[in-house]
Amino acid sequence: MYARIKEILVDQFDVDAGAITMDANLYDELEIDSIDGVDLMVQLKQITGKKISPEAFKEVRTIRDLLDALPDQ
Amino acid sequence: MKLLNYLWRCVGSTLFYPLFGVIGLVNCFLVIPLLSVLIRDRQRLQVITRALIHRQFQLFVLLSDGPRIISVEFRGLEWRNPAGGQLVLASHPTLIDVVLLLSVLPQVDCVVKEGVMRNPVLGAVARAANYISNRDPEQMLDECAARLRAGSSLILFPEGTRSIAGEPPKLKLGAAEIAVRADAEILPVVIRCEPQILGKHQPWYYVPRKRAEFLLRFLEPIQVADILAAWDSERQPRYAVNDYLYKLYTGNSR
Repeated sequence: MYARIKEILVDQFDVDAGAITMDANLYDELEIDSIDGVDLMVQLKQITGKKISPEAFKEVRTIRDLLDALPDQ
Repeated sequence: MKLLNYLWRCVGSTLFYPLFGVIGLVNCFLVIPLLSVLIRDRQRLQVITRALIHRQFQLFVLLSDGPRIISVEFRGLEWRNPAGGQLVLASHPTLIDVVLLLSVLPQVDCVVKEGVMRNPVLGAVARAANYISNRDPEQMLDECAARLRAGSSLILFPEGTRSIAGEPPKLKLGAAEIAVRADAEILPVVIRCEPQILGKHQPWYYVPRKRAEFLLRFLEPIQVADILAAWDSERQPRYAVNDYLYKLYTGNSR
């Protein structure tokens, strides 16, 4: 899953692959904007078939948060 | 005379705002639930609720501008399209901006905070008016764009919350993204209040030495496509819209 997220970030949001770590802050360090965040969420929903709740989404800052927020398969 | 004027505004605003609150409560507690029961047709309920809100806010302007507690001036109202289909993007200096806007825009969509939606009183009104909740950002973006495309007008404050006086406006990306997705016509509104009242971190009962003057300037509408045509950056188109609005709100170039 981490690899998939990384791929999306690099391919679609022009994030530098080298900067991506589990704990890098998506918004500050990786410089994706809030709408990209929503986009990312939509794509994860399509991939996993599960939706992250808006409340959980609000708390997400890093990829680790994101993985934690994804409902268990 | 100056003192008398000040005292009048003190009395006016400390009596008037609570009075208005009471009217609002009566409306919410009695009229809207009654309407919601009586009118089964959601579409009709929406139209009537919005008309009621519009009338009530007109009354607010009349009762505060008439007795000169505050002064309210609208300019460029002719840019409004009564047929709808406009994305109204306003700056947001004070608590009552939406009240003033709705007093001149009868049937428009608004986005309402989830907290308000869940409020038993205000939520009933917002639901009857079929306003859009901001709970889920993805749904909100889709819903706003869909309604614009379907031909209704929508009010948004791109700053998302009241601006901090004296600081440059911080435009969030949601409104700009909606504009781009709906390929909308934007009706920009620049709101000023001088001296500042009802601002962020200001108590509602503060009465300035001089009467507060509200000026709402409706500017010539612009198509998103025209903004994007003049945009030569690599960045996402939503930044073009915000860049355009920023200049309007700060008065840097027109």
